[in-house]
Amino acid sequence: MIKMRNVSKIYPNGTIALDHVNVHIRKGEFVFIVGASGAGKSSFIKLLFREELPTSGELVVNGQDVVHMEHDQVPYLRRGLGVIFQDYRLLPDKTVYENVAFAMQVIEAPRRFMQRSVNTVLDIVGLRDKYRSFPSQLSGGEQQRVAIARAIVNNPAIVIADEPTGNLDPETSWDIMDIFQRINKSGTTIVMATHDKSIVDTMQRRVIAIENGHIVRDEAQGVYGYEA
Amino acid sequence: MKLRTSEYFITEVAHSLRRNTWMSLASVGTVAVSLFVLGVFLILVLNMNRMASMLESQVQISVYLEDSVSDVDRRGLEHDIRNLQGIAHVDYVSRDEAKARLAERLGDQKYLLDALGDTNPLPDSFEVTVTQPDMVETAAKAIGEFPGIESTRYGQDVVQHLFDITRLMRIFGVALMLLLAAATVFIIANTIRLTVYARRKEVAIMKYVGATDWFIRWPFLLEGIVLGFVGGILAALALRSFYAAMAAKIYSTLAFFPLMPQYPFMNYVTLALLLAGMAIGATGSTVSLKRFLKV
Repeated sequence: MIKMRNVSKIYPNGTIALDHVNVHIRKGEFVFIVGASGAGKSSFIKLLFREELPTSGELVVNGQDVVHMEHDQVPYLRRGLGVIFQDYRLLPDKTVYENVAFAMQVIEAPRRFMQRSVNTVLDIVGLRDKYRSFPSQLSGGEQQRVAIARAIVNNPAIVIADEPTGNLDPETSWDIMDIFQRINKSGTTIVMATHDKSIVDTMQRRVIAIENGHIVRDEAQGVYGYEA
Repeated sequence: MKLRTSEYFITEVAHSLRRNTWMSLASVGTVAVSLFVLGVFLILVLNMNRMASMLESQVQISVYLEDSVSDVDRRGLEHDIRNLQGIAHVDYVSRDEAKARLAERLGDQKYLLDALGDTNPLPDSFEVTVTQPDMVETAAKAIGEFPGIESTRYGQDVVQHLFDITRLMRIFGVALMLLLAAATVFIIANTIRLTVYARRKEVAIMKYVGATDWFIRWPFLLEGIVLGFVGGILAALALRSFYAAMAAKIYSTLAFFPLMPQYPFMNYVTLALLLAGMAIGATGSTVSLKRFLKV
């Protein structure tokens, strides 16, 4: 699903975010990316959906060569990915339903699938009955669930989440993790950058720890490893 | 483009025009004023061109004969001129007829001729018309070579002046047009920039979920085109009534002025303004998208 070979990311100001990183993530895996702020987690995540390009190295995501990809192919790479952020990034003047449907609209998905697909994913995240609410009327956890629904409505092969529980209290965080587990069970690969020690330690999934741009640990059933 | 997508684009454009009401109105107003001025120049230049070419095609060569030419020689000359290339008509005007015409043209001031008494200073002449306007000069030269011809005259210099003026107006018009177009493009670019700014979150999300660059660009481009188009409509409406009023005024005072008839002329001008408006709008959007929309 994801293959990084000798990937480095150096920003124009000289910051080395990633230094010769090698990672192989297989289909259906659930992977946590952990590390302190500024360790290179965000860069790692951004490379996956080509928000950033590696300075050097090879990167294949979902069977597509991200490094040598033509600019006009990037949208098609992203259609196979679902991206979720810490700050939800919902459109405030659209309802829950419209926010999710938006993701289908902009890739010109056939209309006849739209209603069914949106309802299905709203069921998955448990927000079917709030489809007419606006983001401002929802709690943080509910907003993140809408964002998850939006990320999976186009059936991505990989879901990429950058600190999805960063703004949520522990209990709500677990609700969100529950949804991610269910999505993962259906065969979707999940890559999640997180700070949340208790979640990582409890879930017992693969953990990739990044420190100063290097992978310092990669364990199949890992724990966070140090006090965040 | 799918129907559903066009629907989406249209709602987006309507939405953003509403959101930036004042800026949109300002853009439409600027486009309208610029296109109106542009239209006035277009009308002026086209009319002057028409006048010049009409005058040119009507140009006659006046061929004045020496007093010594006999009737027989005169008929010979008339025959020779007629046989030259590109000659349409040759009409003989006797000196008496010339005097009578002059008297008629003087009208109220006919008394000026009375001073001459019975003498007639005017020569016999031919009025020669040519088949092609551009043959006037060569024909006049050729006729001048014949014996017994005192001089030839034609209105080429008047026509030349008119063409010179038209060309100047055209240059001035184009310069003004470019200036106004640049200003209008700038205003529209600014409006679109506001839209891009207002929709930056949406654009970001669209990119994450895999919208193509063109899918993202279209609503902005369309908004610019709509602004230009509406401006074009206003300018065309104003120009049409302007031309109608001007035509009425000119016809009531200068009945013979060869003004372009209102139809279909103004329909073409309208079409030109609408197209120009849309082109300006599209350019404005493109400028803004190049600078502010990173897709």
